[in-house]
Amino acid sequence: MSSAQTKPATHAHKAEIFCRDEQRVNWHSKALWTLREKRDRAASQVPEWETLRKLGSHIKQHSLSHLADYLTEFESNCIANGIQVHWAKDAQEHNQITHNILAKHQVKKLVKSKSMLTEECHLNPYLEQRGIEVIDTDLGERIIQLAGQAPSHIVVPAIHLKKQEVGDLFHEKIGTQAGASDPTYLTRAARAHLREQFLSADAAMTGVNMAIADQGGIIVCTNEGNADMGVNLPSLQLHSMGIDKVIPNMDSAAVLLRTLARNATGQLITTYSSCYKAPKPGGEMHVIIVDNGRSEMLKDKILAKSLKCIRCGGCLNTCPVYRRSGGHSYNYTIPGPIGIAVGAQHDETHSSAWACTLCGSCSFVCPTKVPLDKIIAHQRYLKAQAQTLPYGKRHYMPLVGKLMANKTATNCAMTVARTSLNILPHRLLKPFSGAWGQHRELPQAPKASFDTWFKHNRGQK
Amino acid sequence: MTNMTSKDAILSALQNSAAKVKAMPEINIPVINEPLIPRFEQSLATVTATLIKEDGLNALNQHVAELLAQKNQVMSFVDGVQGNRENPELPHQMQDIDYSVLPGKLGVAENGAIWVELPQAHRVTAFICENLIITLSREKIVANMHQAMKQLDFSQTQFGTFISGPSKTADIEQALVVGAHGACSLRVYLID
Repeated sequence: MSSAQTKPATHAHKAEIFCRDEQRVNWHSKALWTLREKRDRAASQVPEWETLRKLGSHIKQHSLSHLADYLTEFESNCIANGIQVHWAKDAQEHNQITHNILAKHQVKKLVKSKSMLTEECHLNPYLEQRGIEVIDTDLGERIIQLAGQAPSHIVVPAIHLKKQEVGDLFHEKIGTQAGASDPTYLTRAARAHLREQFLSADAAMTGVNMAIADQGGIIVCTNEGNADMGVNLPSLQLHSMGIDKVIPNMDSAAVLLRTLARNATGQLITTYSSCYKAPKPGGEMHVIIVDNGRSEMLKDKILAKSLKCIRCGGCLNTCPVYRRSGGHSYNYTIPGPIGIAVGAQHDETHSSAWACTLCGSCSFVCPTKVPLDKIIAHQRYLKAQAQTLPYGKRHYMPLVGKLMANKTATNCAMTVARTSLNILPHRLLKPFSGAWGQHRELPQAPKASFDTWFKHNRGQK
Repeated sequence: MTNMTSKDAILSALQNSAAKVKAMPEINIPVINEPLIPRFEQSLATVTATLIKEDGLNALNQHVAELLAQKNQVMSFVDGVQGNRENPELPHQMQDIDYSVLPGKLGVAENGAIWVELPQAHRVTAFICENLIITLSREKIVANMHQAMKQLDFSQTQFGTFISGPSKTADIEQALVVGAHGACSLRVYLID
């Protein structure tokens, strides 16, 4: 964690620190690749998979392009169902609304299931400073909360920690046996520990996977059952949602429910997909609709597409850069490709947009066809437009641009490069290859350019 | 209650949206022609739940009798199945329930999910019990989620949930542990 005064380090710098422990990086990468493989198996068992991706993409794009209508419809149906609806322009207002509701009910303890939105709004510290105890109840979230860390993945938040580290943490914080690291034993201990929290909570809060406009209700998906255990004990329940979560109807939800878990972890569906459409008898249900920069992103045709995301985490699991740099390197709450797409504008080091090889693997696994690589390239363009390119790039990129715009200059430069690679010792050339060359051998140069080869071999035909 | 200024600000900001306009697609996924019960059973096995296909209600009553003989706390909302606990005033009083026995409304073959909607019970009933038992009419199994949404009527729904297997987590080193915060096991009895 960086202190408030110092500027955070760049992605490359943080990744370099993460990569110092090679075994750990390999372990991290493999754990995520396992999720990707499970996803592939699950997807291949659904013959209509590609149709579902297309439908998911169209449903979300349709909803985003009619957002005001659907939000209004959602609100009026919620109110008819007895749900109280609040609107928050930004994180500050979201936190204030939440605190006002909790304060009115004299809530001392809030149990909260996973919500990337409340992470984005930094709700926990806001409430804690005002004397409310916040307990994260998703096991992974509870682990990192006890460790004083931020999530490193949007679906498996503690993926960066080893079981021995969790064992030591639980020993210190919830009294498990010293040295015990068996996942089943630790999970059972957390179950017992969190059960006390569920039973003694004054209110519960969850995120929202889908808000159903024509129902006036929300769908919350978990495997652990922590959202439902939390929400269904105290009489007061709160749900925070970004404006991008609303979809027209349950038929739309069916499409997304079929792809969400399969794409996230290779499961057929999450264990629980719960639909809350009214407060419990004698209880209160609040939904807080949050903008916090989303309507601004919608003004940009390309950035708008990033709001089709349903937060399955599939793009993180497949990303060669995320897997080898860890979720804490991105200077934003959400890491990985989707984190760059929706968060590069918040990265004051202006480096995360370059934490990407533009390989496009993320776009190909996305269940709603978010064109992540195109959005990331666009984020770079926006950085250049705003004159916030990282230090070196600001100086050499305009020159590279000029050079490459001129055919003769480019051909000359390439001839020099090919000749140098073939006649000069690579030791002399390596310093010019930048970070790329630090752990790599320089390539063998072909004898001629592609242009020459093409003219010679294909030009006459 | 509603903060009109923020609502107006958000809705008016959305007027400047550049999101490409897309019509709502027609959702028309053909149903795979295969026997539903074997697929449902396979899906339940994948999510570590057990399906009892034959002699449903009798088999369930026998099982419940054994559970009661072992001094388990059993709460049943299924007609013809008697537990030893009544529906309490407060949901918190269910914290020592060993088994909840609940009727499912609809099962989904492709993923083993069962829609449970029980307005007469506390909403936490399906989650707070150590173990969960669900009954399901064998006629009430559909192929996929699209069919499920078509068959279910949500107009009177206040709360309902698709349950697919017992609760689980893989948050510690990706090791699957069955039994997180909800029920630790699930048995499904098919009834006629």
